[in-house]
Amino acid sequence: MAGDPAVGMIEVQGVAAAIVGADAACKAADVKLAGWSSIGGYTTAFFTGSISDVAAALRSGEEAARSVIEHVVAAPLLQPAAACHQFVDFPVRSDSDFPAGALGLVETRGYGAHIHTNDQMVKTAPVEVINVLTVHDRVVCSLVLGDVGAVNEAIAVAQKLLADCEHLLGTALIPQPRPEVLAAYAAPMGGGGV
Amino acid sequence: MSSGAIGILETRGMASLMASTDAMLKAAEVQLCGRHGIGSGWLTTVISGQVADVEAAISVGEVEANRTGELIGTQVVPRPDARATDAMPHATGLGAEQVQPQAIGLLETQGLTPLVAGADAMLKAAQVELGGWAFIGGALCHAPIFGDVAAVQTALEVGRQAAERIGTVYATLVLPQPSEGLGPLLPPAPPVELRSTGALGLIETIGYASVVGSANAMLKAADVQIERLSIGSGGRITALATGHLDDVQAAVRAGAEAATALGELDASAVVSRPDPALVARFATAVEGLGAGARQAMGLIETRSTVALVRAVDRMLKAAAVEYEGAYKVGYYLTAAVVRGDVGAVQVATDAGRQEAVEHGELVSAYAIPQPYSGLEGRLPHV
Repeated sequence: MAGDPAVGMIEVQGVAAAIVGADAACKAADVKLAGWSSIGGYTTAFFTGSISDVAAALRSGEEAARSVIEHVVAAPLLQPAAACHQFVDFPVRSDSDFPAGALGLVETRGYGAHIHTNDQMVKTAPVEVINVLTVHDRVVCSLVLGDVGAVNEAIAVAQKLLADCEHLLGTALIPQPRPEVLAAYAAPMGGGGV
Repeated sequence: MSSGAIGILETRGMASLMASTDAMLKAAEVQLCGRHGIGSGWLTTVISGQVADVEAAISVGEVEANRTGELIGTQVVPRPDARATDAMPHATGLGAEQVQPQAIGLLETQGLTPLVAGADAMLKAAQVELGGWAFIGGALCHAPIFGDVAAVQTALEVGRQAAERIGTVYATLVLPQPSEGLGPLLPPAPPVELRSTGALGLIETIGYASVVGSANAMLKAADVQIERLSIGSGGRITALATGHLDDVQAAVRAGAEAATALGELDASAVVSRPDPALVARFATAVEGLGAGARQAMGLIETRSTVALVRAVDRMLKAAAVEYEGAYKVGYYLTAAVVRGDVGAVQVATDAGRQEAVEHGELVSAYAIPQPYSGLEGRLPHV
């Protein structure tokens, strides 16, 4: 991360919108995803690149994140001081290796509903639950991987199951996620929970 | 695919979780196979067994959870698919420890200060043993006691009254005959060395920046030692000080004043002649933290990572200060600390304050010109 002239930061409520934002940012310009960090129920995605690339990536990333959730704060950091790189809690992992496929996100407040929903998703369509992120303030996000049609089907099942759940925050489908996005968000957080 | 089923029960608060899990384990042939907390006090237990057993247990658990607290929801999943649950965190770190065949009492409070005051009263009231303690988000903390039923009941009643004088008691629970499988729900209780002291003083604030300033004020006001800073979840963090009673009283007065001036004071208390087991459990000095730079200290705390990183960047560019560390106490709070000469820290803090306000919610930004030496080595951000 050090050496690049600019850093882009996208902070959202929950984690699903940050994943969508980070993916959109990485596709919009020549930026490199550094990782993410979490405070309470907000998470922030960090990426680096040239000043103009970061600006373009921020615009796309912010817009994409806003399509998932209301609370989005995006800001660049030009010529960041070295210490600013220490704020990335969960860096992109180089050891991760996920098959290509679409990524589905299901985010709620509450943990119990996810066990049931995940079970129904894998029974309905050929998808794999690759991670369940818990980022405090009760926010829980399940990540499923499969081909686009299967993930679409799985998300439809989740939406149906959670339709009358007051704690559903949102769902999202990324047809072709960037590998670095999976490497940042699909690896277990270690510990997790409170 | 395994035969059988899993049952899921989610509640708010440890007392209702423990009561309902205990009832489920007694109601049918089921085992505890997972627990997980996701903040704000929401806790989940997962049980496994044959479908009918799980269904029976869950219906008993629902009733018990509603009776003792707040039930969030239950689910029964017959023939659970391992591909769905393998990636889920609830089954990891589940210890096999079994509970002793004696009664359990649980005191659950909002914030650490009432819990400490209540635990002291419990230890003094009857022949009970104090377990560990833990926080589960949403400012909720709990501590179990063990003993015979009458002793636990007496102690818990006295403890509840003592805690209510200081703050809010969320729940209390007595399990006269706890089920053996409850072990994984109890907070870890590593062996500790008993310690006596004249008094224990507590200042609990919301936010890291204000507790550091408050601990510094306590040290300057009287001859006390800051033993540690302990997170009580929900943004609350407590400075625990020991010393002679009159010193601790003066220190807590000064600390409370500083906390109110710098941020938000949540609770304060002085426990005179604390039980040695209480001091050992709650106020063991932390070791191994950095010795500190012995220079002026600048603190900034926000409710946004973007605002904090922007502010730190601005501070480092505005004056000759060095970044020392960052610390999060929950409740969306995140803080950072810089060090340098008094003037530089002052300039940097002002610059950081302006920058943070532009990008998010600023909680606190100020400089400590001369941090007291007793504070160095006790700060968890290093």
